[in-house]
Amino acid sequence: MLALEINNLNKTYEHFQLKNVSFQLEKGYIMGFIGANGAGKTTTIKSILNLVRMDSGEIQILGKNMAEHEIELKQEIGSAFGDINFYTRSKIKTLTNVIKRFYTHWDDEVYNKYLKKFNLIEDKKIAELSTGMRVKYSLALALSHGAKLLILDEPTSGLDPVARDQLLDIFQELVQDGEISILFSTHITSDLEKCADYITYIHDGQIINSAEKETFIDTYRLLQGKNEDLDKVKQALIAYKTTSFGFTGLIHTKDFDPALDIKASIPNLEEIMIYCSKKESVYV
Amino acid sequence: MYNLLIKELRLGVHPFFYLMPFLTGALMLIPGWLYFLVILYFCFLTIPNMFAGYKTQNDLIFSSMLPVTKKDIVKARIYVIVLLELLHLVVAMIYGAISVRFFPELVYYFFKPTFGFWGLCFVMIAIFNLIFISMYYKTAYKYGAATFASIAGAMLFATGAEWLSIENAAIYEFFKGAGSDQLANHLFVFMAGIVIFALFTIIAYYIAIKRFQKVEAQ
Repeated sequence: MLALEINNLNKTYEHFQLKNVSFQLEKGYIMGFIGANGAGKTTTIKSILNLVRMDSGEIQILGKNMAEHEIELKQEIGSAFGDINFYTRSKIKTLTNVIKRFYTHWDDEVYNKYLKKFNLIEDKKIAELSTGMRVKYSLALALSHGAKLLILDEPTSGLDPVARDQLLDIFQELVQDGEISILFSTHITSDLEKCADYITYIHDGQIINSAEKETFIDTYRLLQGKNEDLDKVKQALIAYKTTSFGFTGLIHTKDFDPALDIKASIPNLEEIMIYCSKKESVYV
Repeated sequence: MYNLLIKELRLGVHPFFYLMPFLTGALMLIPGWLYFLVILYFCFLTIPNMFAGYKTQNDLIFSSMLPVTKKDIVKARIYVIVLLELLHLVVAMIYGAISVRFFPELVYYFFKPTFGFWGLCFVMIAIFNLIFISMYYKTAYKYGAATFASIAGAMLFATGAEWLSIENAAIYEFFKGAGSDQLANHLFVFMAGIVIFALFTIIAYYIAIKRFQKVEAQ
């Protein structure tokens, strides 16, 4: 079953456009949504949550159309924005007491369990929490109302490596039973290498690739060769960089001829991201 | 809807604004003052401060993420505004009744706190609501221009009413002269004011819903 299915999402702003964004997330998995700053991650997430109105396209969550079942589905979704905070001068206790009223499946026991697990103190104000603790509080809220799909915008941005690692461990724990699915956006590629099952890469409002992590990485090869060999592969390369020692470039695996005497290695996500975005500037 | 109302009352409105009517209402005890101002303080202070709070606390995104309809978000907010307005008016009316007992022989230059005057206050607030609520929901976070225009509208009405009551002998007589003791006539103006208040606020609500449907939570 699909936890999330986005088909041909389009949204046009004066200076930016989401173009035919489509991807799917299987239930019980973690999808990392990567892209540079301003690539369209937040706009896509806001469109999923119907915070911005899409121009066209269709969003299905847990098998139901979001446009038709928004209120019902919002009971099943937990969301957090890493960089937006609400009612920061209120105590956790006050905020929770207001929020829990909205959710029919709210469970106080589960809430208290997560408060303890995340070391959250109810009498603290939101402003007194660290960035990591705020994300954990959002997670505690989402999990206490039985959210089946977590949509998190940059939850790891601004966290120190220890807090980030802890959070990624929590993500993995949550999906273990196969009931909860997580879509989280980030521009920190090492987060994805650690915990994502699927990767969707967005660049300049368009989905470049969306696939299982290994398949995603396997789609590309990183070539390193001498400058005189560059001409042999130049046309097929997505993008490349040259130095006095030679060139390094990214190529689709299917376009690479292993018979050539050029060293090919499996790139990491950061290299894929860098070269794919470089491609754009080459055309410009 | 009820949950949203609780959210507004517990998170959105600072407790100080529930006490404000008791402070501003006390201004009714100033003999012969320009009593429209007592109610206008709600427009001058409570509204911009409350809406600045909503803006800085990112209430638009917060509310939009909750499992509620956009219509209910608007409805709850308008209920809260109306609730505070009624609180201001009722408290001022009580202080007004005390003021009249304190100074029975006073000659009023501006309006005397009669039921007729409170009817006019309802009309003034009705104008305020119609302009403020409908303008605010174009963006659901920018409150500056809406506050300015709605206060201007309310003040124009108040100034016009005060001017007429000074210039026109019949109106003077009705509100400040012998007519001010004719309870039935004054209750009629009072009721008419309430009807206009309800009508304008309901119109504002429908305009707001229509505009808010197009608003994006940025």
